[in-house]
Amino acid sequence: MFSQRTLRRLLAPLAALLLTSAAHADTYEIKLPPELSSSPRLCDYAPCSEVLPGATSFSERKGQPSYVEGYRDDAGQKTKVGYVMLSTDITDIPAYSGKPVVTLIGMDTAGKFTGVKILKHSEPILLLGIPESSLVKFNNQYLGQFVGDNIEIGKSRPEENLIGLDAITGATVTVIAQNQVMMTSGTEVAKQVGILKPVIRPQARFPISDAAPSWANLVADGSVQHLVVKPEDLGLKGDGRPYMDLWFGYLNQPTIGRALLGKDGYASLMARLKEGEHAIFIIRTAGMDSFKGSGFVRGGIYDRVQVRQDKDSFTFRDLDYVNLWGLAAAGAPAYDESAIFIIRGKGFSAAYPWKLVFLGNRIDKETAAKTFANFDREYWLADSYLEGGRPEVIKPDPTWLKVWKDKALQIGAFIVLLLGVAAAYANRDRLVRRSSHKNKWRVNAFKYTGWLLSIGFVGFQAMAQPSITQVLTWFHSLLFQWQWELFLSDPLIFIFWIFIIVTVFVWGRGLFCGWLCPFGSLSELLYKLGRACGLKRFQFHLPQALHDRLKGLKYAIFFGLLAVSFFSMGLAEKLAEIEPFKTTFLVGLLNRSWPYTLFAGGLLGLSIFTERPFCKYLCPLGAALAMPTTFRWFGLKRKDECTKCKACAKGCGSLAIDTKGNIDQRECMLCLDCMVLYYDDHACPPLAQERKRRDKAGQPLTPIDARGYFIPIHPAPARSATEEKHS
Amino acid sequence: MSTQDTQHDDLTPVPGRRKFLNTAALAGLAGAGLSVGLSSCKQEAPPAAAPAAGAAPAAASHGASPHLAPGQLDEYYGIWSGGHTGDMRILGLPSGREITRVPVFNPDPLVGWGITNESKAIMGTKADGSLRYTVADTHHTHASYKDGTYDGRYAWINDKINGRIARVKLDTFECDKITEIPNVQGFHGIFPDKADPVDPAITHTTRVFAGAEFSIPLPNDGSHLNDVDTYRSLFTCVDAETMAVRWQALIDGNCDLVATSYDGKLAATNQYNTEMGAKYEDMMSAEKDACTFFHIARIEQAVKDGKFKTYGDSKVPVVDATREANKDPKTALVAYVPVPKNPHGVNASPDAKYFICAGKLSPTATVIELGKVLDWFDGKLEDIKATVVAEVELGLGPLHTAFDGRGNAFTTLFLDSQVVKWNVEAAIKFHAGDKNAQYVVDRLDVQYQPGHLNASQSETREADGKWLCVGCKFSKDRFLPVGPLHPENEQLVDISGEKMKLIADHPVRPEPHDFIIVKRDRIKTRQVYNLDEFPNAVKDPKESGVFRNGNKVTVKLVSQAPAFSLREFTVKKGDEVTLILTNLDKVEDLTHGFAIPKYNINFIVNPLETKSVTFKADKPGVYWCYCTHFCHALHLEMRTRMIVEK
Repeated sequence: MFSQRTLRRLLAPLAALLLTSAAHADTYEIKLPPELSSSPRLCDYAPCSEVLPGATSFSERKGQPSYVEGYRDDAGQKTKVGYVMLSTDITDIPAYSGKPVVTLIGMDTAGKFTGVKILKHSEPILLLGIPESSLVKFNNQYLGQFVGDNIEIGKSRPEENLIGLDAITGATVTVIAQNQVMMTSGTEVAKQVGILKPVIRPQARFPISDAAPSWANLVADGSVQHLVVKPEDLGLKGDGRPYMDLWFGYLNQPTIGRALLGKDGYASLMARLKEGEHAIFIIRTAGMDSFKGSGFVRGGIYDRVQVRQDKDSFTFRDLDYVNLWGLAAAGAPAYDESAIFIIRGKGFSAAYPWKLVFLGNRIDKETAAKTFANFDREYWLADSYLEGGRPEVIKPDPTWLKVWKDKALQIGAFIVLLLGVAAAYANRDRLVRRSSHKNKWRVNAFKYTGWLLSIGFVGFQAMAQPSITQVLTWFHSLLFQWQWELFLSDPLIFIFWIFIIVTVFVWGRGLFCGWLCPFGSLSELLYKLGRACGLKRFQFHLPQALHDRLKGLKYAIFFGLLAVSFFSMGLAEKLAEIEPFKTTFLVGLLNRSWPYTLFAGGLLGLSIFTERPFCKYLCPLGAALAMPTTFRWFGLKRKDECTKCKACAKGCGSLAIDTKGNIDQRECMLCLDCMVLYYDDHACPPLAQERKRRDKAGQPLTPIDARGYFIPIHPAPARSATEEKHS
Repeated sequence: MSTQDTQHDDLTPVPGRRKFLNTAALAGLAGAGLSVGLSSCKQEAPPAAAPAAGAAPAAASHGASPHLAPGQLDEYYGIWSGGHTGDMRILGLPSGREITRVPVFNPDPLVGWGITNESKAIMGTKADGSLRYTVADTHHTHASYKDGTYDGRYAWINDKINGRIARVKLDTFECDKITEIPNVQGFHGIFPDKADPVDPAITHTTRVFAGAEFSIPLPNDGSHLNDVDTYRSLFTCVDAETMAVRWQALIDGNCDLVATSYDGKLAATNQYNTEMGAKYEDMMSAEKDACTFFHIARIEQAVKDGKFKTYGDSKVPVVDATREANKDPKTALVAYVPVPKNPHGVNASPDAKYFICAGKLSPTATVIELGKVLDWFDGKLEDIKATVVAEVELGLGPLHTAFDGRGNAFTTLFLDSQVVKWNVEAAIKFHAGDKNAQYVVDRLDVQYQPGHLNASQSETREADGKWLCVGCKFSKDRFLPVGPLHPENEQLVDISGEKMKLIADHPVRPEPHDFIIVKRDRIKTRQVYNLDEFPNAVKDPKESGVFRNGNKVTVKLVSQAPAFSLREFTVKKGDEVTLILTNLDKVEDLTHGFAIPKYNINFIVNPLETKSVTFKADKPGVYWCYCTHFCHALHLEMRTRMIVEK
């Protein structure tokens, strides 16, 4: 079998060629020691003193989630100077790559950030586009900021007590995720050590009711919730059984508590609770592991389950455990592990939504390294169980939604552009009939507008150039794990892809490639400009035979990248630099090192002399889209005479019409030149011939029908016409 | 039904082995007397068509299995007396697993009971600080009630040898008080009350009653040694909270077991020696003995009114409850209800209506209706005998009765080695003359010679009729032999169906007597202690050290796995050392031990608990004190060095 290493060795020269002088990223996909996330002595494996200046010694990992304390040595006395935390101990918020940026964070005893260090990231954009130093610069904005402050990406708004951070252009998702990582990690630890006080929520009051809901009723109204974790979610091999199948619910609510525990059981439990304490139950109806684990035996802490309410988390000690003797509700399932946990932390309120969190260990298949993975399920008492119903709750938007809201205007404009182009193309019959061989402006007005907007707005401004890397990501997502958040995090790309998938199957890939691809548009625009500037005599097409051979190259590139991606996504992403998109739009020709600039510039320069050289021979994205185009619904029209007549083929800039007159829809850019000809009675040879015959015979020129012929003067009987259509 | 011959087989004596056997053997030896007793009963018509013993197939089980998969928990706590091991034992049921033993009257080196200063203070010491008693014989244990069922606060247990009653807190399963009852011997029966006789607001246990079996001279100070006629037994009431003796009642005859009514008005004890004989043949001479009912409200009023005496050094008021002093029912403190000879066991039915006395030497059970007893006290009932609503034959040697809450009673037949299931209302109808009433429902052979039995929640209003445990006094061939001393055989019976079904045998070290089976949700245990509960707690490792006051030395230590706070401590030969150890580990189940070699000291400290020991440092040298209770991977390294200087 091809090992990853072998493949890397084989591909290394190619990669080296591409990356010759690319600034080598320090922390991109670096291999971290597994002890970093597992050893109690975090600081033996991480540069803790770099993020907590002044600290000379560090404690072992403590707390849940864990952190370490840093100490200064004052003449033999240890003085605590602050805390160091590893972001992945606390949160696994993914960045643009779908993987977390492993960050070491220092915070002093007052809750101010003292240092941030990226230990590992998987962001391709930082690898080959934006220098990693920009992320370092971004992170430095946190230094000295208080963890309890409201820190967001964007402009500061003092009137809202909001501290703004400068984003990194072109890496919005990365920095939004990074901000969440910083603030979540900081608050988690600050709360544990008492820097931040828990939020005090008003307590719920429960209406009195005689209802005795069954288990099914309780499940239906959400009073009992279900949390399932599959072995695959943890990187384990599954056999169809769940890894963890838990049901849980809130017991203080009298109707629910009595239904679940019985009258006596409820009274007995409530007699144990003090003011402000809350009880929940958990049962495991199936699963491969214990939800209690064994941590509570050694340290007294249940390390696999916790309750979260907003930013407050509530963990359970052995003393917070009470036996669940049984479930009284009719229809309750059999279970093999059970618990009642008592939430004693201040601030929990059953009136507001909370989550049960199962803390699992995800095992990386390749390295067997363990990273922690959280699975949660929300719980919120239904209106009927709360006096006055549910209080109003404003939930913070998830990252992707925040992006969509921020870019609403841009998204709107983009959708208008896409719909406009689609509408124009849908009306292509009308446009091409009104155009002629000599004057194609009726078509080109729309197409050129599309090009200009694609280049300027979509490409340079919105940086929404689709890329083969997205196709690879899709393949992987379909095969391994589908994360909507990942795809939603870039709204324009997300919308663009929906548009591309739909139009490829309706009309073929040409609508995207020929009308809307920013790089393709730029490339052909340059060709047109070249022609307009009098460079026509230098412009050329490759001979058809050579073209036919070279056009297969892009498929090879696509499959090559796909194959590499299964061994290493990172390497595939590096090799995807064969697309000059990043250099052209995302980073800028002048901002990259010379091999990239030379490559992209060269391709663009060549475009002046030959039409779309990259699209025709190299573009893996085009190849990926060309294949499904085989199954497009509406093709371009052809006449019987097209088999002999070469008129269209001569004018086809894409060299997509073969000697038999067939259009290769996979190569066609839908420029519509041949369709203009199709109805042009001065340009289409069969039409011109008929026009001349009628002129001679003194017959009138009837309108041209949908099949590109003059309507016959003596219409054939309806039946035979039908037959003809069928023939 | 057994024939006369098999009776004699059953009665073949094994000399001097067990108290009960002695009784039976004596009965056998008494031959003629017993025969008379039995034949007199046999004259009554036996119940019609009683099913053949042991022939019945098993009834449909309620589906619960006594076998628990790993991790599963029992549904009931079983609270067992330990007998002459002097302890209380806690079992899980239906599995029968022994979960813990609670040391009560006798020293226990595991926890340091009788070794630590705190436990010695509870157990009672002589002037030199040594324990007053080191043997005991626990028979009966009963738990506190609220609203007619267990409330999980306390259980009480008796010591028959030294006449003591102890209380065990059911939140920690530890003994917290022991009271020695004055002027009694052979303290046997014990039962908490279930409500206050006067104040209807008090629906929980506030008194515990204790019956004394052996009559003695009052006071027992060396005078009247041979005036057997003046020997007396006292019935005692102890305060459930303070554990002080509230009052005693002087009676005719003796006390055996005790029962209390659900309304708190009545307590009763069965008497097997109304004859007040000092020798067994005298004790068996009368055809009828009695079940004696005490009118609690009247007794307490008499005490209030100053109508009492005291005996010897005891300040406890003793009321006169003899027949002679209580002839007028309307003022009587006591009612003597005649029951057939030498009865054993009195049990209150869960419907709160009846007390049932088992016959022992009579093959009958006597059902006494409590309402009628109260009528007698009110002067509404002419003849006290009319309180007996049934006296029916069950088999040979009936001893104790349990209930299923569905109107059935289960009575052990010692001599027949059976449990008989019978219907109380049917028995009453039969006794009233309906000879078609079939009161015996089922019989089950048990192995062998059962004494006490009890059913799940039996003596509460919540008797649930699921499980029955039978304490068989003989195991004979039922377990791997371990020499001449055999374990006893606790048998588990499924009583959820019409027929009883024997489910399991469990060996128990001799010798539990009585027990109760309590639903697990009635008991709320604590997980760890609170530092503040102990006035001598060492709350911070920094408080550790050796503190000297003359030759009295206090060593303060804390334990935190895997270390004691002092690596060593030094005392001088001749010092009186008090060592205080607080376990500062907060994690549940993280208990440490502390042993001092050659000083005969070991005890444990549970999380956040403090204990102390006092000893004379009389042996110079180095003594490695170590943790005896497994605590940590470095458990073996958990030590401290006691240096005793010359």
